Amino acid sequence: MGLLRAVFTPLLVSMAALSAGAARANEPALKVVASFSIIEDFANQIGGDRIALTSIVGPDSDTHMYEPTPADVKAVAQADIVLINGLMFEGFLARLIEASGSDAEIITLTDNAEILQDPQGGHYHFIGDKAVFHAAPEDPHAWQSVSNAQVYVSNIAQAFCAADTAGCSAYEANQQRYSATLAALDDDIREQLSALPESRRTAVVAHHAFRYFENAYGLTFLAPQGMSTESEASAANVAGLIDDLQAQQVSAVFAENISSSRLVEQIATEAELPMGGTLYSDALSGAAGPAPTYEAMMRYNVATLMSALTPP
Amino acid sequence: MKKRILARSIAALAVAIGSTSAYAHDEGATEWRLFVADQASPTVSVIDATEKALIDTYELSGPAALHRTSSGQTVFAVQGSQGRVSAINTGIAFHDHGDHADIDVDAPERLDIELTGERPAHFVEQQGYIAQWFDGEDEARFFTENSVLEGQPEIRTANIEAAHHGVAVPYQHHAVVSIANPDDASQRPIGARVVDFEGNHVGEDVACPGLHGSAGSGSLYALACQTGLLIISTQDGTPEIEHLAYPASLPEGSASTLLGGKGLQYFIGNFGPDRLVIIDPSQGEEGFQLVQLPTRRVHFATDPIRPRFAYVFTEDGQLHKVDVLSGELTQSLRLTGPYSMDGHWNDPRPRIAVAGDNIVVTDPAAEKLHFVDANSFEEVDEMPLEGKPFNIVAVGGSGVSHHD
Repeated sequence: MGLLRAVFTPLLVSMAALSAGAARANEPALKVVASFSIIEDFANQIGGDRIALTSIVGPDSDTHMYEPTPADVKAVAQADIVLINGLMFEGFLARLIEASGSDAEIITLTDNAEILQDPQGGHYHFIGDKAVFHAAPEDPHAWQSVSNAQVYVSNIAQAFCAADTAGCSAYEANQQRYSATLAALDDDIREQLSALPESRRTAVVAHHAFRYFENAYGLTFLAPQGMSTESEASAANVAGLIDDLQAQQVSAVFAENISSSRLVEQIATEAELPMGGTLYSDALSGAAGPAPTYEAMMRYNVATLMSALTPP
Repeated sequence: MKKRILARSIAALAVAIGSTSAYAHDEGATEWRLFVADQASPTVSVIDATEKALIDTYELSGPAALHRTSSGQTVFAVQGSQGRVSAINTGIAFHDHGDHADIDVDAPERLDIELTGERPAHFVEQQGYIAQWFDGEDEARFFTENSVLEGQPEIRTANIEAAHHGVAVPYQHHAVVSIANPDDASQRPIGARVVDFEGNHVGEDVACPGLHGSAGSGSLYALACQTGLLIISTQDGTPEIEHLAYPASLPEGSASTLLGGKGLQYFIGNFGPDRLVIIDPSQGEEGFQLVQLPTRRVHFATDPIRPRFAYVFTEDGQLHKVDVLSGELTQSLRLTGPYSMDGHWNDPRPRIAVAGDNIVVTDPAAEKLHFVDANSFEEVDEMPLEGKPFNIVAVGGSGVSHHD
């Protein structure tokens, strides 16, 4: 069942929450559903052992393309709180909520965050070699700046306090602790990336998931936009992109953990650029991978970028 | 002739948009069409499901099984007894813009394309890639929906070693094909393998004794076996197959007909004549749930719009609503006289399609279609249709129509 569990992104029940819940059997847990793995980690950081947490889209999986399962519907039906990113990131959400008949509080974690308009009106995802356009007026990948992550966890703490007043002091203490962790993370990212010269600050990624990172930390990420939404990426499309890359001082090409690397590898080969490794964009890794938490994900991404972009 | 949607739709509110647009205003629009194959005479009728009016009728060579593509732009009529596969442009196309889809509605059109071959049978389409299986041939044929609509299907083939009643599942650069029983190819296949279109096998063969029945749901495709399901997923575009065994808690039996949920990722199949099995592969062995029917099953269908529900028609003339979460029949409605499952497997019996808020059931004995409101689960209309209306598919949906 190993592949099944990895591929089907089953509901991941927080083992910590389960064991803690068993230890405090008389105290009802707050039933929380997180829409994807990064929010799951935020909720774990704030809720700790006071919540029973379920995540819908698991590690290394593309939330944009996810198809919910009957088990997801049952989890939402039983939830007190559902934590979502919003900004049309979870395309499956409306039908999931409707099918569940749930009256849970739906908390949109990007509320009050600094939101970027998507200059192209959307961004591309890849199924195999096929580019699929995801139109959205606002860029949903807000967690890629740590200052926005602070807003996410603040929203979570407020939602948990409202639903579980007895646990509010614990949630606020957890938020204070984790907020300090995030502040240190933000400082570390800025310090490390400041060492890169201007000529080594441009890279190619598979889809436009890093505009918030770009905006916060002064790098530039290009993605193969301009390709047809109706057909496979053709050699002519790729050739056009490569012409652009050579004029823009691109230093490396990066794969993403949520999608096939075939297309970006093709771009790297044809542009004679090095593959710089895999960045974690829209999902964490599994527990055994290098990015099982948000903090680990950001640190791993920065280490990967620094390794590839630092001048030889 | 291009038919711009008129304001009969559920949300026909004109909305002014910016002066830079090529269009003066947008309208929400809904259009559904039914394609009904007749078992008495070889025809396909195209019906406006909203007006309940006949749009056109196409002559075929023989009785047809109908298959719609996931885009809804094309319906294929597989005429197994006549060795032909015909294609119809449904006239309804959607153009996805992420937060909405545009809808274009034209007249339906019988396409000037026909595949001929020895006993065409299982048809599978995924994301515009199509596999047509021919029971009497030793290779399966693959093409894209776009190439059919453009009038020039580009056929690729994959060798299957021996002609047999099997199935192929198409992917961009690969296919999953059934493996014939080496002792007797007339028996059910024994497994499945991944192949490419250059004649290579990819990975190991996977056992699937008694393979029959297949369906897609979300990112997964499933093949039914006597021992469980083969679940096909893709990694970097290459299909991978994993066997999901029936749990020991299930009684003896297996599925041989599968359907995939739309909007929810699950599979539903027959499990003996009077039970269904609902399968959520994400839950492994815990993901199997039996549904007991009051009598033998005639046909079943999933609801792509209300994904929590599926429908099953039983011999006693009743349509039942199945809650795929609880596995219970939540509502039942008598629609027709009794239909016995005894007799030839291909005798015309009721078939189900979901067209928007209508569940449409063919009634070949009474020469009519029944329209059931999917929300109230009450019969709301009937439409006479001469002959033996049998197989049925529905295409359509809602979108934005841009007006000049």
